[in-house]
Amino acid sequence: MMKRTHKYFPILPVLVAYGALLGYGLFFPGKWQLVSQLAFYCTLGQAFNLFMGMTGYVDFGYVAFMGVGTYGMAISIYHLNEKGLGLSIILIGLSLAVAFSIILSLAVGAVALRLRGAYFAIATIGVNEGFRFLIEGARIWNGSEGIIFTRHMKKAFGKPAAMAIGTFWADIMMFGVAVLAAVLTLVYMRNKVGYALTALREDEDAAKVMGINVTKYKIIAFITSAALAGLLGATAWALKLQYVYPTDVFEIHYTVEAIIIVLLGGAGTLLGPIVGGLIYGISKYYLSIVLPGFQLLIFAPLIVAIIVLFPEGTVGILKKKVINTPLQKFII
Amino acid sequence: MLFEQLAGNLVQGLVLGAVYGMATMGLSLIFGVLQVVNVGHGAFIMVGAFTSLMMFQAMGIPPILAIPAAFLIGMALGMLFYFGAVKPLVSPSGSGIKKMTPKRLGAAAGMFVGLMILMWISSGFFSLNIAIYLFVGIIFLYGFALYIYGGRRQDKAPELATLLATFSCGVILEEVVKQVFTSEARGFNWDIGKIDIGITVLPYTKLVAAFGSLAIAVILYMWFNKTRAGMAMRSVVEDDVGARVCGVDVDWQYALSFSLGIGLTVTSGVLLTMFIPVGINPYMGGPYTLKAFVIAVLGGLSSPYGAFFGGVVFGLLENGSYTLFANIQGLEPFAMTRFFSFVMLLVILLIRPTGLLRAK
Repeated sequence: MMKRTHKYFPILPVLVAYGALLGYGLFFPGKWQLVSQLAFYCTLGQAFNLFMGMTGYVDFGYVAFMGVGTYGMAISIYHLNEKGLGLSIILIGLSLAVAFSIILSLAVGAVALRLRGAYFAIATIGVNEGFRFLIEGARIWNGSEGIIFTRHMKKAFGKPAAMAIGTFWADIMMFGVAVLAAVLTLVYMRNKVGYALTALREDEDAAKVMGINVTKYKIIAFITSAALAGLLGATAWALKLQYVYPTDVFEIHYTVEAIIIVLLGGAGTLLGPIVGGLIYGISKYYLSIVLPGFQLLIFAPLIVAIIVLFPEGTVGILKKKVINTPLQKFII
Repeated sequence: MLFEQLAGNLVQGLVLGAVYGMATMGLSLIFGVLQVVNVGHGAFIMVGAFTSLMMFQAMGIPPILAIPAAFLIGMALGMLFYFGAVKPLVSPSGSGIKKMTPKRLGAAAGMFVGLMILMWISSGFFSLNIAIYLFVGIIFLYGFALYIYGGRRQDKAPELATLLATFSCGVILEEVVKQVFTSEARGFNWDIGKIDIGITVLPYTKLVAAFGSLAIAVILYMWFNKTRAGMAMRSVVEDDVGARVCGVDVDWQYALSFSLGIGLTVTSGVLLTMFIPVGINPYMGGPYTLKAFVIAVLGGLSSPYGAFFGGVVFGLLENGSYTLFANIQGLEPFAMTRFFSFVMLLVILLIRPTGLLRAK
């Protein structure tokens, strides 16, 4: 049995990695754009991994949760900007984002999480498309015209503050979401939730027979992952871009990117999404300079290659290498 | 007024539904035999649509005659993706690492050079750039690595692996087509007249497509029930261990049914262009993937005939709901119909995941 303090040691490399990334952005001028991009991918992977990595279920409609989170922030700024609430609008927006994504995840999870493997994937693949068409079809939240709230942000916070939020503080908040996602993953892993999820990932029937309420734990992981996605959408998209169109935020390519990141790093590991996010982000950044428009064409075969040849991912392989070394307690 | 509109749209829905059913048979066949959900389904429909477009525009061949070509292209693609991505996951035969002898390396290098020369010659047809060479090189290296590693037994979550693999295959196809044809929407016009049946007007192309679908479904039915090859494939659906004991080459049946399923799907892409000959672009498959899932689940997911009838039911429901949404103020009927199909998927999965028609 490991000591109580040792339980949460693996958070250290995560904090070091994010700290280094943040420091690189702060002290090297002109690199902030790249750093925020990389942090976005790490966060996306971390949030997605919490469900896919820990349960072994693929949610093809994941981006829908980011989409509704973005809308949560957008409508709170759009409607409340003249109330003189100051920065607390952002807090309201974040809670609205979490609320929206939790509601959607409950609605989807209530149906989809009763289903296994292939049926689960089938049920989720339409979530982002379905929700996008609901917004466009019933003209909810301005329908297909979207919400542009740059003006409203300036009215709410003043021009310099709105600029600073868009270019700097949104990214800092995104780092916060990243750390939150990592901490939650570790806490889950080291507690009953994580053990239950591991059991059900390996053999769901056996877990059920052993008396584990599998549906309950799946829903916990699903909702947590969705709420983190909502926060990511609210910070990385809404506050940064200051507009939201249904066609942009319900774009399935972000789900693809999340899958690539998690697989590159190693599904179900804590460090995996960070390693995967950095590898993916950096190679995408340079590929978009060298070969613009070819990123997916190169990454899609890569997914196949990883699944067939290295299903454990980078950190999964590393984890095996460091067993019985002092590094063991830092890498999971 | 509403009733007439509804009746006309239901006739259209019936005709379209036959093609939808045909477009889903491949998905159900692959799931029935391999227990693999082809998440990249829509991309293969897109390939069929492009085949139809190219044959019509470049050679003036009407879409109905493009069907054999599309079927062969689909079979070839199916084999390619089966051996490259699906086989190592579903049937881990020949696992274990082979030695990299100079002979094997030499053969690989020779094939690599040959492939590049072939690409260089064929670049006269399409304007290939350096990235395509890079891509083909990566694919080749992957194939070689696969050959050396052999199939690797998956300890956990084979379902997750096959879902991601087929999904990636779809993305690969979309991106390749995008590089060759760009992402602009294309269309063509094959006009052979239309018939007025009182409540609605049907172009002959739609009728040809519907009867073509029906004919293909009947041929498939005959093949499954009357020929030895078809019965062998059906035996794998029933019980693959039993089939193996009785001397059926199950590994080959896997390969064959995957490529047959893809062949049917690509063919259905041709039939769909007879209905909607515009908006052909690399990313057109997404909505069809969703529709195909709804239809497949309606029909019980593992039965191709169930899928065909599911398609007819879905066509009727889709057009019926469109008519109703169009008569409600403040809604965009087109988007709402798409939303409706998603809700229908969830409802069916919730109340009757074995399919409305209880297949098998």
